Amino acid sequence: MGEFFFNIDHGYLEALIRGFKGGILTQSDYANLVQCETLEDLKLHIQSTDYGNFLANEPGAITVGVIDERLKEKLVTEFTHLRNNALEPLATFLDYITYAYMIDNIVLLITGTLHQRPIAELISKCHPLGSFEQMEAIHIASTPAELYNAVLVDTPLANYFVDCINEQDLDEMNVEIIRNTLYKAYIEDFYKFCENLGGKTAEVMCEILAFEADRRAIIITINSFDTELSKDDREKLYPRCGKLYPEGLVGLARADDYEQVKQVCEWYGDYKALFEGTGPNPGDKTLEDKFFEHEVKLNVHSYLHQFHFGVFYAFIKLKEQEMRNVIWIAECISQRHRSKIDNYIPIL
Amino acid sequence: MDDSPPSSAEHRMIFRSEEMSLAQLYIQSDSAYNCVAELGELGLFQFRDLNPDVSSFQRKYVKEVRRCDEMERKLRFLETEIRKDYVPMLEARDDCPVPVPKEMMDLELTFDKLEAELRDVIRNEDTLKKNVNELTELKHVLRKAQLFFEENHDDQTAEATLIPLDISRDATAELSLLMQLNFVMGVIRRERFPAFERLLWRVCRGNVLIRQAELEDPGQCQITGETISNTVFIIFFQGDLLKLKIKKICEGFTATLYPCPNTAQERREMSIGVLTRIEDLKTVLGQTQDHRHRVLVSASKNVQLWLKKVRKMKAVYHSLNLFNLDGTQRCLVAEGWCPTDDLDKIRLALIRGTEASGSQVPSILHVVDAAENPPTYHKSNKYTKGFQNIVDSYGMASYREINPAPYTMITFPFLFAVMFGDMGHGLVMLMAGLFFIFTTFFNGRYVILLMGLFSIYTGFIYNDVFSKSMNILSSSAWKNSYSQRFLREHLTVEGQDRPYMLVPERAYNNLRGPYPYGVDPVWNLAETNKLSFLNSMKMKVSVILGVAQMAFGLLLSLYNHRYFKSDLDINFMFIPQALFLGCIFVYLCVQIIAKWVLFTAEPGYIFGIEYPGANCAPSLLIGLINMFMQKPRPSGFDTPACYLNFWYPGQSFIESLFLSIAICCVPVMLLAKPYLLWREDRLRRQRNQSNLSVRVDIHQEDVEVIHAEELPPGSKANHTSHGHASSGPFDLGDVMVYQAIHTIEFVLGCVSHTASYLRLWALSLAHAQLSEVLWTMVFRHAFAFDGYTGAVLTYVLFFVFFFLSVGILVLMEGLSAFLHALRLHWVEFQSKFYGGHGYPFTPFRFRSVLEEAQKDDDQS
Repeated sequence: MGEFFFNIDHGYLEALIRGFKGGILTQSDYANLVQCETLEDLKLHIQSTDYGNFLANEPGAITVGVIDERLKEKLVTEFTHLRNNALEPLATFLDYITYAYMIDNIVLLITGTLHQRPIAELISKCHPLGSFEQMEAIHIASTPAELYNAVLVDTPLANYFVDCINEQDLDEMNVEIIRNTLYKAYIEDFYKFCENLGGKTAEVMCEILAFEADRRAIIITINSFDTELSKDDREKLYPRCGKLYPEGLVGLARADDYEQVKQVCEWYGDYKALFEGTGPNPGDKTLEDKFFEHEVKLNVHSYLHQFHFGVFYAFIKLKEQEMRNVIWIAECISQRHRSKIDNYIPIL
Repeated sequence: MDDSPPSSAEHRMIFRSEEMSLAQLYIQSDSAYNCVAELGELGLFQFRDLNPDVSSFQRKYVKEVRRCDEMERKLRFLETEIRKDYVPMLEARDDCPVPVPKEMMDLELTFDKLEAELRDVIRNEDTLKKNVNELTELKHVLRKAQLFFEENHDDQTAEATLIPLDISRDATAELSLLMQLNFVMGVIRRERFPAFERLLWRVCRGNVLIRQAELEDPGQCQITGETISNTVFIIFFQGDLLKLKIKKICEGFTATLYPCPNTAQERREMSIGVLTRIEDLKTVLGQTQDHRHRVLVSASKNVQLWLKKVRKMKAVYHSLNLFNLDGTQRCLVAEGWCPTDDLDKIRLALIRGTEASGSQVPSILHVVDAAENPPTYHKSNKYTKGFQNIVDSYGMASYREINPAPYTMITFPFLFAVMFGDMGHGLVMLMAGLFFIFTTFFNGRYVILLMGLFSIYTGFIYNDVFSKSMNILSSSAWKNSYSQRFLREHLTVEGQDRPYMLVPERAYNNLRGPYPYGVDPVWNLAETNKLSFLNSMKMKVSVILGVAQMAFGLLLSLYNHRYFKSDLDINFMFIPQALFLGCIFVYLCVQIIAKWVLFTAEPGYIFGIEYPGANCAPSLLIGLINMFMQKPRPSGFDTPACYLNFWYPGQSFIESLFLSIAICCVPVMLLAKPYLLWREDRLRRQRNQSNLSVRVDIHQEDVEVIHAEELPPGSKANHTSHGHASSGPFDLGDVMVYQAIHTIEFVLGCVSHTASYLRLWALSLAHAQLSEVLWTMVFRHAFAFDGYTGAVLTYVLFFVFFFLSVGILVLMEGLSAFLHALRLHWVEFQSKFYGGHGYPFTPFRFRSVLEEAQKDDDQS
């Protein structure tokens, strides 16, 4: 039934987002970008795309940092417009998207504070989509409990944080655990939220979020080898809304090396293919890139359906990927490291 | 243009687009810039991109383009600063000269200096402002601090509030020394204060005392210049650990902390010091701002001119980037489209450009054969432009195809007026058109003018002024056939008016003839059957106009086929189509006119058959249906349903003949052309098989077999005609489907388009009825009163009537009639002949470049 009245509330924004999506850089744009010799060339070419004159008013030589900043600024402007015009439940849905960035920002700030960096410098590195009022006061906290009580209790992340409260100090290991616990709680919550929305949104978003959950589980497992993270602790960090749940996660929890992870994933058709093309050789793609490619594919596919919120999520994710690509290319150009310039993830 | 060669006179017709040539320009690289600049001023040459594979940043003049970009950025920066200070800018004319390349350096230097100076000033100003702001805040902080402490003094000092009451006074003094409270003061953005307060409370576990006060005069944000309201706060706390935490939180919330002495005396001294510093800073700030203003004023005189110059320069380099380098690097090659008639002008421009650059070697223009279709270029003036736009928005005409715009110029306002016909409303529209012509450059002003004129004309024919008729030539043949005595006795029956009919046989004087023009005003008196008369007339007129326009469109297709020398299309498309339209619809129109001419109210003889009276006039609609059904009917008028009978001798034969011709035309339209194309293709292929030749390339060691394409003379015409018969391999299926679509479209179209023209009648009826309603329901009420009441009421109701007339009848009805006229032209008329597969000619023109840049500026 939701589809019948979808356009009354969300038709404008869906039209807008589909228009935005049409502006995503194409294969031929990338083909031109990688030929650039300098960042000035890049600027010139990017003017002919949907980005338009977003770099035109920059005085002096442009740097990768400036490009990154402007790219983010553009995304944030677009997102803010969407958010300001959104009605429930889309508004909540869009808020959920920002939570992921909030988690990243919190972790970034805590890690930065651990390394005694000045807060102003850290704030500038935070993703603007995930900024919140109390963010800048994070560095007063020295234990997770303090962090929760002082800072996070007012934010929407408070519910996710309940699992992390213990009296240990904040060290690097703990920060990673906090990040993953938060993420796990966030993904599971988001998954539940989408399921409750029902309809096409649930269909599309659950697919994407399930993949996200599984990807995190696999990456956590692979990264935990040769660290002091115990298997029990590791298992607690796995988001339980993916396709790997429950059998796959049990398998992952027991895994001791990369080969065993691979074996577990081979039971699943989608993930088997991802593992197959990867390898340590220079020509092969990394597993991470494969995951990104798969994510892009899922996101692009969400545009094949109408009347659902998945397109909003997919747009942000695709745009994020595009920004990563542009930054990658820009870095390669500015560092004169052209051999790897083709390692961007094209958006189909 | 007497000096143009006579051969080109034929090309100058407005009925087809301009003849275009593909020209190659060989220009010395020294003089290229000047030549392109001249061409840009001329605006008649459309450059083709000769390096489509080279990406934008690898082209030859990319460095110059980038420098121009940089200059533009600086100028935009200057412009925004000037706008910020509300300094008026001097507008520059569009025809400022293009700067020569040497000038670029000077311009760059000037802009550099200006920008650096301005940035310097702005930076100084910003730091000064920041200092002033901080000092002002400090001033307020100090003042508030005084207030806080005085307040607290009243309730026995701040310290006392924290001390348990049961301790004696002596102990109090002692304790107060021990528990020396610290405090910090600062300023924070008001909207952040609640969160700030909450966090402080939570982190310090309630061991702080916070007081706050609004800052009266809002500060200004450094970056955006928006006003922000601030809050002064003072936090009392105890111990160093808390101090550290509080400082961190303040830092996190970007609150500014200010030092504040402990005693009132020190505070007073400090605040005096602050005040003097503020005064000093303000003087300096004023001087800086004056300086800034002077810089901006001096720049404002030239900014627009510079901007135009730089944009022109950039456009020239952009065009130069489309050029190809000759092998020797000395010469640039450009290729592009231009109107054949204006080749001389372009040559002249090139000569001017070469002279301006001082180069010795002349530039060469060389016309080459084009493989692709040239762009379509209709020369238009301010009068034809509106109509050309109407046609172009449906689709750009194919190259050298008949341009419907000249015909549209008359038929469009005419068909509009058929629907809108009313002299009064037409006059309002005419006024609006004249107003637009004399005041604005609105493109459609002449369209509106003509629509107004034609509406007055059709209103004259309909005899309609705000739904009233005018009896100018009182020569009506109608007279009252009832005697005065009869009317006196019988007009009122039981107090009610009784309508009487004017029976044509008695009331119509055949000798005086009909009213000299248009609708007889006497119909305005006929309350009951005015509509039936007008409906019948307008419906028939609509059909006649519609069929006429469609037949005219079909005739234009003949001219297209003849121009493209396609006998195939003439014989197997145009002729069957014309026969089909003629045998059914033109025949219908002929019948309509015959009925008007021959059948009157009086009995008489028609084609020698006795005709009893109006009730036997043939019903044409049912007659048309019967023609299709081939229903046997008696002839003559002596049966009861005499209006269904054949009414002229040989009608049965003629109708069967017409019907069979029309039906035979359909398979011809459908099959003949695909079959002939297919046969031609087969013949060509057979011929080609005997025409193989082999070319051996010695350098590349490869051999290729060449099909010597001997194009038959008519085939090129096929390409250009309507975009079908593609140059690829012949595909019978495609051609069949295409032809089937066309045939179905035409056959069904004839029926539905004829019906579609009935909208002329429908809208005209609606318009007339609406204006009558407005008259009778609104304005006429005023006439029911006499004396002053009547005068006042007339005065008031006139405004109501007039605004409703303009709002509903002229604007809304006008819009709807406009849209219907548009549809009749786009669909019903143009579908008969118009291909619309062309692409527009977009010459390199400074004027349009500048306009576009201006539009971009206005948007952002």
